[in-house]
Amino acid sequence: MQTTRTDWGRRQPPIGGSSFELQAWFFMRVSGLVLVFLAVWHMFIMHVFNDTLNLDYEFVAARWETPYWRAFDWLLLALSLLHGTNGLRVVIHDNIADKTIKKLAHSALYGTSLIFFIIGTYAIVAFVRQV
Amino acid sequence: MAYQKIVSTGSVYKGKTGMWLYVFHRVTGVGLFGYLLLHIISTALILLGPEIYEGAEAVYKNFYFRVAEIGLMAAVLGHAINGLRIITVDLWSKGSDFQKQLNFVSLFIFLVIFIPTTYKMTTSYFDLCLEKSSSGTTVVDCIIRPIPDWK
Repeated sequence: MQTTRTDWGRRQPPIGGSSFELQAWFFMRVSGLVLVFLAVWHMFIMHVFNDTLNLDYEFVAARWETPYWRAFDWLLLALSLLHGTNGLRVVIHDNIADKTIKKLAHSALYGTSLIFFIIGTYAIVAFVRQV
Repeated sequence: MAYQKIVSTGSVYKGKTGMWLYVFHRVTGVGLFGYLLLHIISTALILLGPEIYEGAEAVYKNFYFRVAEIGLMAAVLGHAINGLRIITVDLWSKGSDFQKQLNFVSLFIFLVIFIPTTYKMTTSYFDLCLEKSSSGTTVVDCIIRPIPDWK
């Protein structure tokens, strides 16, 4: 006998679960909004107002002489990595059905992001002009 | 029965513009994350001094990478503007009634920024390449040369 479902698209919301997904959703909106300014401004400075053909050691050294640009670059690094990591977390969740592989992919993602966050932060904080 | 017809069409969702914008957002998102990792490494090389940093940067300075840079600009602008569209649909109570209009406005804003940007990035490449290269260099040389002979 065929049972007829009439509740399509009206799944019960989980009761008593954590609010992590809601917070992640909210974070994507807030960080995305900030990144529209940070990332697009960064792209325009590097690729439109200047030309990457002129990009050299001196350019970066002069930029990082002001703490303002170090702070700008670090905020861009942190937000884009977090925004990208959460985006990929959802992409992995949606596209990998196998639970073990999903867990492995998530672990690899978090590990990679953490390492690159440390490398990037170290470069911005520890840079000292050599010439 | 109408109900059975729905079941037999399988589970493949066939949306229109909205579905493709969703695909676009995911593809550019994953691509931008990959580029971000590459960018963090190449920038961190600055700790190793000017020679190594500029040696790595030289790889980015051929014409093929300039084409990729324009693609990067398209991905950043597209992901940013589509993201703003998503936020608008989410937070504006009438957002879902105006999806078609919002799609057109987004495309319009994208083109208004992207077209002049592409023009600048293309003309500037050839201007600087001809200016920095030894005399006798042609536009064709600028295109086919894998790594420029100047810094």
